[in-house]
Amino acid sequence: MISMSLINRYWALIFLSISLVTSSIVYADGVVVDKVYHPYVLPNEREVEWRLFSHRESNNNKLAQRLAYGQSVSENLMLEFYLVGERYSNNDFDLVSYELEARWMLTEQGEYWADWGLLFEVEKETEQKNWEVTSGIIVEKEFGRTSLTLNAFVIYEWGKTLKSELETEFRLKYRYRYIEQFQPAIELYLGEDYLGIGPAFMGLQRFNAQKQLKWEVGFITGMDSRSKGHVLRVAVEYEF
Amino acid sequence: MDNIQLIRYLRIVLVSLLLLLTLHVQAQKSEYHIKIKNHLFYPAVIVIPANKKIKLVIDNHDENIEEFDSFDLNREKVIFPNKQASIFIGPLPVGEYSFFGEYHPHSARGKVIVVESSQQKLEKGKQDAN
Repeated sequence: MISMSLINRYWALIFLSISLVTSSIVYADGVVVDKVYHPYVLPNEREVEWRLFSHRESNNNKLAQRLAYGQSVSENLMLEFYLVGERYSNNDFDLVSYELEARWMLTEQGEYWADWGLLFEVEKETEQKNWEVTSGIIVEKEFGRTSLTLNAFVIYEWGKTLKSELETEFRLKYRYRYIEQFQPAIELYLGEDYLGIGPAFMGLQRFNAQKQLKWEVGFITGMDSRSKGHVLRVAVEYEF
Repeated sequence: MDNIQLIRYLRIVLVSLLLLLTLHVQAQKSEYHIKIKNHLFYPAVIVIPANKKIKLVIDNHDENIEEFDSFDLNREKVIFPNKQASIFIGPLPVGEYSFFGEYHPHSARGKVIVVESSQQKLEKGKQDAN
């Protein structure tokens, strides 16, 4: 028997999905390569994370880094706080924004046909007083030793130097769980000015108890005239 | 098809896929029980039928937290002291799938053995005969 809370969750998901199709919102600006989120949260989990993003286009090389601390605050809710730094054209590297993210695991892994989660983010630029709010769905489906993960986000941004607008963004990962330390994948990213696809791999090394080191590397190539260049993304996460 | 059309098409396909994923029926699942005591799993070996989803209920009788972990099964679950937790496994093909307790990996170890049930064997035999 399906409980009322589950039905309510599904209505929320269906409403969000329909709004993605029917609304006149546009895709997220610029290169949207970042990380494909999984819908799972474990209680008692704490982590520090470092992400690197390098976009090479002709002679330009944009570099961004994120440093984060995250902690699960209940059995199915994880909060993460990010500091985002970027290198400018004059080679100065500076803090550009900070962000609070909440990841909510909606269903138990394997209980239903697919596993569901939600993501909420609030980001504020330090100097420009610009804001960005993101909400979206995370879905993962297992096919034997492979897993398909989808992220669909709606983003609203506004501020002093930004035109207020709604945007959408899609991320997809198809991963083969070969061995713990090496799990190859294909990733796809879709935004307003960007369609990129490329290989990636992730892995983890366990230590004592819940301590483990996770890593992800992806090399994403722009697929059309608006999505020039290559993006290298790296994420290293230490859970304790 | 130009890029804008392609992107619109991909958007509709992806959102349709998301909607499709919401439409499921929750079927009855067989339950299997194991307990954790003195940092050991009892029983340490569970035999389940192939190609069926099952619910594994784990009771932690210890005073310490434990985490059920299995790369083979692609499952992680924290079980608090003197509490119960459920894990959903499968459908899986025939084979052996190991699991362990992340806090006591040397003692808390076990495996799930997936076998064809007699009914599945019978059906397979009928198909082979045809």
